[in-house]
Amino acid sequence: MTALVALVPFAASVVLALAGPRVGRRLPPATATRLLTAAGLTTALATGFVLAVWAFILLAPLPELVAAGHWSAAVVRGGDPLPAGTGLLPAAAVLGLLAAAIGRAVGFGRDLAAAQRACRRLGPAPAGLVVIDDDRPDAYTVSGLTGLIVVSTAMLRALPADERRVLLAHEDSHLRHHHHHAYTQLAALAAAANPLLRGPARAVRLAAERWADEDAAAHAGDRIVAARALARAGLARADSPPGGASGGERVLAAADTHLEQRTRALLGPPPRRRPALVGALAALMLLTAGAAIGTEHLTEHRFEQARAAYSHAR
Amino acid sequence: MLERELFAAIAAAGRPLTPAEAREALGRPLAYTTVMSTLARLHDKGALTRSPAGRSFAYGLAVGPDTLDATLTARRMARALDGGANRAEALARFVADLGPDDERLLADLLRAHPSGGAGRGPAEADGAETDRAQTSGAQVGGAQVGGAQVGGAESTGAEDQPR
Repeated sequence: MTALVALVPFAASVVLALAGPRVGRRLPPATATRLLTAAGLTTALATGFVLAVWAFILLAPLPELVAAGHWSAAVVRGGDPLPAGTGLLPAAAVLGLLAAAIGRAVGFGRDLAAAQRACRRLGPAPAGLVVIDDDRPDAYTVSGLTGLIVVSTAMLRALPADERRVLLAHEDSHLRHHHHHAYTQLAALAAAANPLLRGPARAVRLAAERWADEDAAAHAGDRIVAARALARAGLARADSPPGGASGGERVLAAADTHLEQRTRALLGPPPRRRPALVGALAALMLLTAGAAIGTEHLTEHRFEQARAAYSHAR
Repeated sequence: MLERELFAAIAAAGRPLTPAEAREALGRPLAYTTVMSTLARLHDKGALTRSPAGRSFAYGLAVGPDTLDATLTARRMARALDGGANRAEALARFVADLGPDDERLLADLLRAHPSGGAGRGPAEADGAETDRAQTSGAQVGGAQVGGAQVGGAESTGAEDQPR
């Protein structure tokens, strides 16, 4: 029973890994971003917790822990035939994943500080917009504590006025909704703590871009103009010589903004609400959280019995 | 948003613009007074400088002597924060670089959906200002704002060149 309940978070991770990207494409982007981030965090916490509990249950019959915890080794071991040494496996896994998550969080902090320093050096930007004199068309949002939109003169000149408006509205959406801090980073953190969630984290990143695209299209009042802005900005970048702002990273960044998918999505009709899919994701989260809580209860119960048996034997 | 749009329009023009010119460069029907007051606000905030031009002012970017520094900073930052496999992507790009297939696809798309499509109405929130735009149009000297100005994907280069 314990084992079965404890498997639920892992099953949920697999479901998210398999279905996450498709779910991200089908849901309205804002909903997809929020739900997938929440589902990722829930699942990562639940898997980490369950792994830790497993490690503890398996290691508990070790004489040293029995002496410290005053519980009956036989009762703690229960029906599980696994030797105590196997507990080292989940213990190592949980420590490794915890270290990865902490490393990731430290990395975020460092990047945030770097972004903040950059914002200060680039500023003051009274309109929240910095135009840099660069031949390479480029536009991005720096997510420091105070966000900043950076656009190169080449990018501004490559786009006609209505598409420039789309670009600014897109970046403004990133800043206004805190896409970086509130979603993509948390989803990446969940993926660090549970590698099965890497796919869903990528889906969150794409969904956040799509969210900003949809906001920009709404602002422009025209989806085609928004699609055109993406296409023209992409082509302008492709036409410009490599080098400049980020020459070295050209290949690395290539797949990251999913230009083709985003453009196609804008050319299609606005995304529909999908209550059934939302319900399914919510149910998955509840089930996962419930399984973690259930595992906690069952384990506590087992240890209570083991302690009782221990003091009884005295 | 309008502040950034105006700021970007002036930066794209590469020279100071009068309110009338700036309004034209926005490519949508906005009231002259709205543009003028937004420019004035940007000037108050120190984002723009202004110099007398005829009966009005011309607004230019208040770029300090540290422009080059800003560009270098931006480049260094982009390199430092750019999305490698394990980076936090503190930098959200509008578009990244393309593969060869993307390039063809996007070029086809631009051909299939040329700018200035018929029936493209003014964006939300502009409606209320359209009337005022027409009444104040006299000051601008015949407002030729809107679809016509934005139109022509291929003519955009010309639009942005200094006049």
